[in-house]
Amino acid sequence: MADKTNNSAVSKEEQLKKLSFISMIRSLLPIVGLVVVFLVFNTLTKGRMIKNISLVMSQIYVTMIAATGVFFIMTMGGLDFSQGSILGISSIVVCMVSKTSVPLAVVAGIAAGAAIGAINGFFYVKRKIKSFIVTICTMFLFRGIIKYLTSSAPVGGSAKLVLMNTDRLKLTCTLIVVIVGFIAFNFTRFGIDLRAIGAGEKAAKFAGIRTDLMKFLIYVLAGAITGFAAFINVIKVGSVTASGGNQLETQILIALVLGGMPITGGAKSRFLNVIIGSLLYIVLTSGLTMIGLTTQAMQLFQGVVFLIFVAVFADRESLKVIK
Amino acid sequence: MSEVRLQVQNLCKTFGITKAVQNVSFNVNKGEVHALIGENGSGKSTLTNMLTGIYSIDSGTFVLDGKEIHPKNQVEANNEGVSIIVQELGTLSGLTVAENIFLGHEDRFVNRGIKNTSAMNREAQKLLDQYGFGRIRANAMVDDYNFEDRKLVEIVKATYFNPKIVVIDETTTALSQEGREELYKQMNRIRSEGNTIIFISHDLPEVLRMSDTITCLRDGVYIDTVKSADVTEDDLKKLMVGREVTGDYYRADYGEAVSDEVVLSVKDVTVPGQIQDISFELHKGEILGFGGLSESGMHEVGKACFGASFDRKGSVTLADGTQINDIPTAISHSMAYTSKDRDNESVVMNQSIRDNICLPSLGELTGFLHLLSRGKMKKFANEYAAEMSVKMVNTDQFVSDLSGGNKQKVVLARWIGKNSDILVLDSPTRGIDIKVKQDIYQLMDKMRKEGKSIIMISEELMELIGMCDRILIMKDGRINGDLQRSPDLDENSLIAKMV
Repeated sequence: MADKTNNSAVSKEEQLKKLSFISMIRSLLPIVGLVVVFLVFNTLTKGRMIKNISLVMSQIYVTMIAATGVFFIMTMGGLDFSQGSILGISSIVVCMVSKTSVPLAVVAGIAAGAAIGAINGFFYVKRKIKSFIVTICTMFLFRGIIKYLTSSAPVGGSAKLVLMNTDRLKLTCTLIVVIVGFIAFNFTRFGIDLRAIGAGEKAAKFAGIRTDLMKFLIYVLAGAITGFAAFINVIKVGSVTASGGNQLETQILIALVLGGMPITGGAKSRFLNVIIGSLLYIVLTSGLTMIGLTTQAMQLFQGVVFLIFVAVFADRESLKVIK
Repeated sequence: MSEVRLQVQNLCKTFGITKAVQNVSFNVNKGEVHALIGENGSGKSTLTNMLTGIYSIDSGTFVLDGKEIHPKNQVEANNEGVSIIVQELGTLSGLTVAENIFLGHEDRFVNRGIKNTSAMNREAQKLLDQYGFGRIRANAMVDDYNFEDRKLVEIVKATYFNPKIVVIDETTTALSQEGREELYKQMNRIRSEGNTIIFISHDLPEVLRMSDTITCLRDGVYIDTVKSADVTEDDLKKLMVGREVTGDYYRADYGEAVSDEVVLSVKDVTVPGQIQDISFELHKGEILGFGGLSESGMHEVGKACFGASFDRKGSVTLADGTQINDIPTAISHSMAYTSKDRDNESVVMNQSIRDNICLPSLGELTGFLHLLSRGKMKKFANEYAAEMSVKMVNTDQFVSDLSGGNKQKVVLARWIGKNSDILVLDSPTRGIDIKVKQDIYQLMDKMRKEGKSIIMISEELMELIGMCDRILIMKDGRINGDLQRSPDLDENSLIAKMV
């Protein structure tokens, strides 16, 4: 009998080793992918990509900042499709307020984003509607408002904003968000609480986590972070059109999934998913544009890549916990 | 008489690393009531669930009347002549009584793709009348009937087609005396018709009275098959546990006075639809038991004490006057809770053992700049996992890999680490093997001696009798009995208050 249990313990260990090997492959895949994709496109474009690295990088900031907030949402098992509309609305707010004061514009952008996040959070937590349904509704709702506000002409920002369009500022802002996010996620109870909610909400509640409050605040936080990204967006593009921020949500989702984020969130979420994913996504799309892929072909390609990655990274055992 | 009906041959079933049934073989004869006994987690239900197609078979075979059967679901099992009456509620809400009775066999009433509902109702009513349950109407929603009547519907559903084998899985504990008599009558009828009953029950006197043959399982292993006429209740206990059941399995002490110091007082607590006007006091160093039927509301009492009930009225107050109205307050005032629904409410399944153990104590595991310290978390988790001797590779392992007993150990390790003084343990030994059970009982005894107070909610009467200083019995959401610890207390005196 004792022998038997010993045997099963050994085989269990082997099994675990095998599992951790698979999960190691899974976690290495995005990094390897990033390097490979980068090298491939540099070869294909005969080094044009590396020469234009600052142009490539300039597209990454907004995605990476906004992805940080969505990463938190996805870790606790939710989804957010309203990010593009949040960026659009916040960008309009930043433009309008920037004519009065630029610092105030930054704050106003964050507040606008947080307010939309609060609407998402309210319907998700208080009315108990699934997060993807709530955020699809708010996506359409606020897209409508953006279209209305920009119907006569694009909303332009103050000229001061355009002067601020330096890589240094954008890079600094992005780094601050990412570093603060990283520390909060890995070295405070915030990260563990989020993962616990993603991995088993009821049990998390019984372990003393205020799950409803947390879920609400995460949506507010994600909205606020994207509201901050709106500032970076405005100094880059200068004005907001009806399509401002369009499809940001899909970009973020693809970026996170490319980075190895399990679509169900939970304990296997790593902050590295945000960084690697955003980089991989931008390198991939810029590379494809550089080798002359049309916009239509690009969407098709993105769809295929997304599907493949979700299929690889989906943790089928926990699929039922999508909220 | 002793013609073999069913041969169970080398049957095995594992769940993850838990070997639920290991290489079990025995024969069941025609025209007998064959009881299956064993502690919780001994594999009785797993075995019958494989027979009735609820679980798949890992290896081994069932041979029914000389023919190997592999039912993939209950309907296939029915077609082979095997049916089951389950432990929990086996009828589906939202369907009529007739639809429940003929669930999976509606084809009988279908003509060119159209179901003849009135024919179905007529047929069902005829069956109900035959069984003497005429007061149950076939065309009424099953939701209109109470637990007992729904069990009667299940009896009809499981037996109307004269199955060769009927499995009755711990059905009697949920029934009142009247309902039991009804069931016994049906059992005798089935036996007299030459068919077979596999009878699972924890109530040993009932097993001895009702069955012809008894097979005992322990930890998934076949132990013995005996004739009911040849054994006593004590013999059965010995078979189940593997040794004499006295000594230090439960607490051995009697007559120790409980401290007068009240640590938790519950006053007029009501949760709509669940419990009504519950009031009691928990003393320092006391183990207070709650018993009753599963639906009696006793599980909600635990949640209400821990501030986890929705829409609770009344008050739960600690010795220092703190009101417990939500979970974080409860935890920060040294309360702990383990749920009956371990996988959903106690452990965060898809998370590491380390995070699970550290969750309520994260506030104390910080270092530099109040940031969490990985080192401290690891040390903390290792320390308490070791104290509870959790069987694991390391604390990075996910809880979902562990067996039920080990999951429970992780939950207990979490609260021991938090050093909670008031523990609300709902079904702490549910589905746990005897070895771990004993560990948990000893731990509870140790905690009691350290002056910690425990509320133990359990459906196992023996463990309540064995462990508690005082037992409150719940019935229909109210406290219906109050029994003090005594060596003379037996299951019947508890059951009398339960039903």
